[in-house]
Amino acid sequence: VLLAAAIISKSGKALVSRQFVNMSRVRIEGLLAAFPKLIGMGKQHTYVETDDVRYVYRPIEILYLVLVTSKQSNILEDLETLRMLSKLVPEYALSLDEEGICKKAFELIFAFDEVVSLGHREDVTVMQVKQYCEMESQEEKMHKQMLQSKINETKDVEKNKGEKGGLLSLQSLGSGGFERALNNLNLSSSNSVTTATSKGLGMQLSKNQRTNQFLQSLKAEGEEIIEHVQPSSTRSSAAAPPVSDPVTLTVEEKLNVTLNKDGGLAKFDVQGTLSLQILEEKDAYLHVQVDSRKNPSILFKTHPNINKELFSNENILGLKDPNRPFPTGQSGDGVGLLKWRMQSMDESAVPLTISCWPNVAGNVTDVSIEYEASSMYDLQNVIISVPLGSLRNAPNVERIDGEWSGTVEFSVPATDPSTFFPISVQFTAKNTFSGLKVVNIIPLKGGSPPRFVQRSTLCAEKYTVV
Amino acid sequence: MGDDNVGDANLQWLILILLYVVVCGGTMVGDDGCGNGLGSERDIKIMEKSCTLLVYFDKGTPALANEIKEALEGNDVPAKVEAMKKAVMLLLNGETIPQLFITIVRYVLPSEDHTIQKLLLLYLEIIDKTDSQGRILPEMILICQNLRNNLQHPNEYIRGVTLRFLCRLNETEIIEPLIPSVLTNLEHRHPFVRRNAILAVTAIYKLPQGEQLMADAPETIEKVLSTEQDPSAKRNAFLMLFTCAQERAVSYLFTHIEKILDWSEQLQMVVLELIRKVCRTNKHEKGKYIKIIISLLTAPSTAVIYECAGTLVSLSSAPTAIRAAADTYCKLLLSQSDNNVKLIVLDRLLELKTSHKEIMVEMIMDILRALSSPNLDIRRKTLDIALELITPRNVDEVVLLLKKEVVKTQNADLEKNGEYRQMLVQAIHTCAMKFPEVASTVVHVLMDFLGDTNVASAMDVVVFVREIIETNPKLRVSIITRLLDTFYQIRAARVCSCALWIIGEYCLSLSEVESGIVTIKQCLGELPFYTPTEEGEGQEAPKSDQLASAITVSSRRPVVLADGTYATQSAALETAMSPPALVQGSLSTQGNLRSLLLSGDFFLGAVVACTLTKLVLRSEEVQPSKVEVNKAKTQALLYIVSMIQLGQSPVLPHPIDNDAYDRMVVCIRLLCNTGDVTRKIWLESCKESFVNMLADKQFRETEERKAKAQISHSQPDDLIDFYHLKSRKGMSQLELEDEVQDDLKRATGEFTKDNDDVNKLNRILQLTGFSDPVYAEAYVTVHHYDIVLDVTVINRTKQTLQNLCLELATMGDLKLVERPQNYTLAPESSKQIRANIKVSSTETGVIFGNIVYETSSVLERNVVVLNDIHIDIMDYISPATCADVAFRTMWAEFEWENKVAVNTVIQDEKEFLDHIIKSTNMKCLTAPSALEGECGFLAANLYAKSVFGEDALVNVSVEKQSDGKLSGYIRIRSKTQGIALSLGDKITLKQKGAA
Repeated sequence: VLLAAAIISKSGKALVSRQFVNMSRVRIEGLLAAFPKLIGMGKQHTYVETDDVRYVYRPIEILYLVLVTSKQSNILEDLETLRMLSKLVPEYALSLDEEGICKKAFELIFAFDEVVSLGHREDVTVMQVKQYCEMESQEEKMHKQMLQSKINETKDVEKNKGEKGGLLSLQSLGSGGFERALNNLNLSSSNSVTTATSKGLGMQLSKNQRTNQFLQSLKAEGEEIIEHVQPSSTRSSAAAPPVSDPVTLTVEEKLNVTLNKDGGLAKFDVQGTLSLQILEEKDAYLHVQVDSRKNPSILFKTHPNINKELFSNENILGLKDPNRPFPTGQSGDGVGLLKWRMQSMDESAVPLTISCWPNVAGNVTDVSIEYEASSMYDLQNVIISVPLGSLRNAPNVERIDGEWSGTVEFSVPATDPSTFFPISVQFTAKNTFSGLKVVNIIPLKGGSPPRFVQRSTLCAEKYTVV
Repeated sequence: MGDDNVGDANLQWLILILLYVVVCGGTMVGDDGCGNGLGSERDIKIMEKSCTLLVYFDKGTPALANEIKEALEGNDVPAKVEAMKKAVMLLLNGETIPQLFITIVRYVLPSEDHTIQKLLLLYLEIIDKTDSQGRILPEMILICQNLRNNLQHPNEYIRGVTLRFLCRLNETEIIEPLIPSVLTNLEHRHPFVRRNAILAVTAIYKLPQGEQLMADAPETIEKVLSTEQDPSAKRNAFLMLFTCAQERAVSYLFTHIEKILDWSEQLQMVVLELIRKVCRTNKHEKGKYIKIIISLLTAPSTAVIYECAGTLVSLSSAPTAIRAAADTYCKLLLSQSDNNVKLIVLDRLLELKTSHKEIMVEMIMDILRALSSPNLDIRRKTLDIALELITPRNVDEVVLLLKKEVVKTQNADLEKNGEYRQMLVQAIHTCAMKFPEVASTVVHVLMDFLGDTNVASAMDVVVFVREIIETNPKLRVSIITRLLDTFYQIRAARVCSCALWIIGEYCLSLSEVESGIVTIKQCLGELPFYTPTEEGEGQEAPKSDQLASAITVSSRRPVVLADGTYATQSAALETAMSPPALVQGSLSTQGNLRSLLLSGDFFLGAVVACTLTKLVLRSEEVQPSKVEVNKAKTQALLYIVSMIQLGQSPVLPHPIDNDAYDRMVVCIRLLCNTGDVTRKIWLESCKESFVNMLADKQFRETEERKAKAQISHSQPDDLIDFYHLKSRKGMSQLELEDEVQDDLKRATGEFTKDNDDVNKLNRILQLTGFSDPVYAEAYVTVHHYDIVLDVTVINRTKQTLQNLCLELATMGDLKLVERPQNYTLAPESSKQIRANIKVSSTETGVIFGNIVYETSSVLERNVVVLNDIHIDIMDYISPATCADVAFRTMWAEFEWENKVAVNTVIQDEKEFLDHIIKSTNMKCLTAPSALEGECGFLAANLYAKSVFGEDALVNVSVEKQSDGKLSGYIRIRSKTQGIALSLGDKITLKQKGAA
């Protein structure tokens, strides 16, 4: 924990010091007075530890900028704070000597306050600190203007009153309209970074093997590990079921699409793989016959170990050395046999088109989103995520329908239309662009061909509307 | 809204005027009412009140209260700002100007300038808001309205800073009316306001009555947290739940567990803090959290990763957890370029090493990768850690790496390479001592460095070789061969003598003895060493050249050495340009021994003589041919005689010293006439003493290790420290204590070591006599950087003493913290006055004082002079250790020396030393074995460090006189005059002993 930030002259005169936790005056003065005597000469590091505290410092010309921290304090954090403060000092001090610091002592204290709150570092930039310290507020200006115009109006009214003899209550000019104006004005400053989508990262990582091993060995060593039951996850399990057939062939295509919000295709990219997984070695001597003619625009690339000629002539995938088996095993995704890539600028190829119409009306923004799926593809598990900016309440969804195509309408408090982008989409489908099919498996060592399954998936890896 | 403001302002003025009357009246009444008894309590409060800011106050430009007041009342904004600053500074300096408050309320409060408002908040932050009994001052209500306006201010920054100010406020009476405004700010659209509003809620809820003030604060904040998007506000909200409603924080954590990696760095830090705290209370729950920590180990922020590792260690002692933590530290060690980080991470590894050595052993190679840093401190720390982790299994790998590092130091020409090489050599030495089998692999590599220009590192190598050749008899032959091969490269005299000793002792076989003699002869070069000048004229052609060089040499004198002294022996430095009559060896490369001898090093000459003698004596045993032996003998004699001649000749500025001369003569005598007894002494006893020395060294090391191991165990009758019963001054009972908090408390000085009360009474000083009208005694507490005097003053008269004041003055590096206050003391009543004195260096200080008072009958002031209070230097220094080399360098560097002549009744040297050690609170650096025996004299080095980090060095040299008395000197050296003087005084006072 950061106890205090101070600027000290080389002789140990404490010019400015701001404490962030409760400590007595004698204590802080003592700590700061002891500091110059503790720093040795010719050291290549800039911290000193005593029995009780740690000083992290940085010389600024003839002065020291010192942080007093507890000994358990996180040094990386403290160095970051120190770096930040050392950037601020020259910004605020008139000159980097005793006099310059003393003159601006209070400004420095104000700036320090913005970087550290109650001993915790704030993640701010120099620009932000300057902005916070300048205290220029748009709202205040508005407020003053309103006040001024109200005064003027009142004067006018009074003038009129004098002329017409009418009776207008001052109250009726109430502050309602002004409040709303304020609201509208400040929309631009509201936070638009956040999205309402859940990325499903985080603990998902525990799936990875290393962590699992780690947990296993911890358990073995007697540490109790409780597998936390995740609160109902919205993600449908897209993961393939475990392999049980002797030979599995998987066609997987990943879609990388960027659509412009004004229509038009910015990027369309399909990357596909065919992989082979064999459980037992006795089945591993084989050739795979495929049908790749459905989409002639796609060029296939074979794995270096695959006999290229055989594939181009007969559409048969086999190892260059027929006496060698394919790798086998349960784990992993199998061996890649083929790779392909397809790019297109043809809008009709897009499996799902989305158009978003935000409409600002008064203090409400109505958003209607239209979506239409291409009939070629049977899309499953479609999630369309629309960022909403910082909203306090859930948006008001007015309409939602659609089978192949449909619309969603919802309204939110007035928001900048650009907030709703990028819209991101997730889905999977069984049809693929390549339409690659495995026709047959030919065992090389005779006997009946082993049972095989083909799985095909198309999934949207990155599908956004910007 | 606007109308409300107008109304509020009117109301405010009304209150203000009303209160102004009350306040003015109040102060008048207070003057005579407030004087009795309670002032001291208040004083103590001031002492312990927390201090939030310090600004240097230049006393040279005193600000007058009147000027400030005038400026505050004016309309000039910059002048007002300046005046506010001055007011705050005066207040910080202890000058309470009560009348200023009303001015500020009237003229500063309504100001619209933002800077003024901010300064006003600072002013309010430090001003005393309560009276002597802890009740809130009535006029403080005035600021409430202003604060409320600020909290509803259209400027979001004004709101923010006001909310932040509330965090530092403890007075419920002020806070209570503001709570609704604080809560509305939680909803403010600007994150800056929300951030600070959450902090304010946290601070308010944490107050003693916080739960009544804001019963549903945790719930509110939880709601805020669920919608909040600003990372900083989110962090603050989570922090609030963490400190005030832990179970809510935990449940939030688990509902959002899958997003934890997306959280901001700051929030992740708080999560780790939470985990540590939760697990410390409910140990059985830690299973839930370990997974979170593991996932956070992959976070992008290094600060988070560092924190994770620390948390992991504090949570679990399972090997995997420790391994993961150590692994993380090692990665940080490599990835971070900042030396501070590296050093502190090494500290963490050091801690892990002491608690989980068996796991750290596996990490040794990772740790050693830190050697890639060019920083010597880092390298040293790394080697220190690694050396204790060496096991038979990893020693080969480690030594291989160290060897590589040694070789690397040859290539790059960095200035610190020599020192680093020395460190490496020492490390390898330690390895080889622990695991003798590795010696064979390293000794040859190291021997390349015998000719190192860095004498210290070459010295280390030669000492290492000397030890190995004795402990590893198998390596003897190869080492000797190698040593004879590389001997000519050795440049330093000290290294030469050590190497010569090895040659003399360990050349055993005939061929070794012969080549030993040949090597030495080669290095000495051809005889004679000099040509007497009488023979001189026109003898040899090169002589004129030499004369020429002589002129240049003499013109170069005197030479100023690097340390600023004049070189008196320039020949010693520049052997290439030696005086004319000296005959340089005819060999193209001049022998190292010759050049050293010609520079006047006759101690080395004596060593050469002894070595030759030993070799000749040994050849008598192994050489079958008597003729050869005699030939060798005569040659040796010739060399020794030549050396003596050189020593007595006028060509060298300094003649041979008596000691070296005597030794050479002994050698001559021995070679001419050998007896069996002397032969035995020369050939065997020497080595035996060396073996004894090694054994003793080893024995001492094991003893030390045992002693160290013993210290860490607690004695069966030791007190057990129950952590629930620790001293927790001023902490709420519910508050949990853990390492972090202990650490924080220690840092803020809240932890005070409880001395037992008996000792406390010993420290009471009587300041005045019993018959004085005022009796005073003081209890002196010495903290690290300050001294607290608790003075009890008793009025012994039947009169009321007015304006009683304890005036103190100091001498030395002491400073009074606050100005004395006046008290009124009723007849025969007593009072506690507390005075704080700041100490800024180690020095014996003296505090003088008077008690001044007035009585109603006599108008003049009475003065009672107090006894002086002496502050003992012993409270500030503590025994410490430092390396011998460091001691020597400091001894040479330090400017202040105080020499005290020994004057004591103690008759025994050892007893005297113990007495000095005890009375100065220092540590004896000289090994106990060096102090053993009855030789009638003793020299020892003592060392201590002050709390300010100053070094105190003492050397004691005493000799027993024939009359049984001890005489000699005690020298004290230090960087500052204070220590040298004070310690000297202390020793002069105490050395007499037996008193």
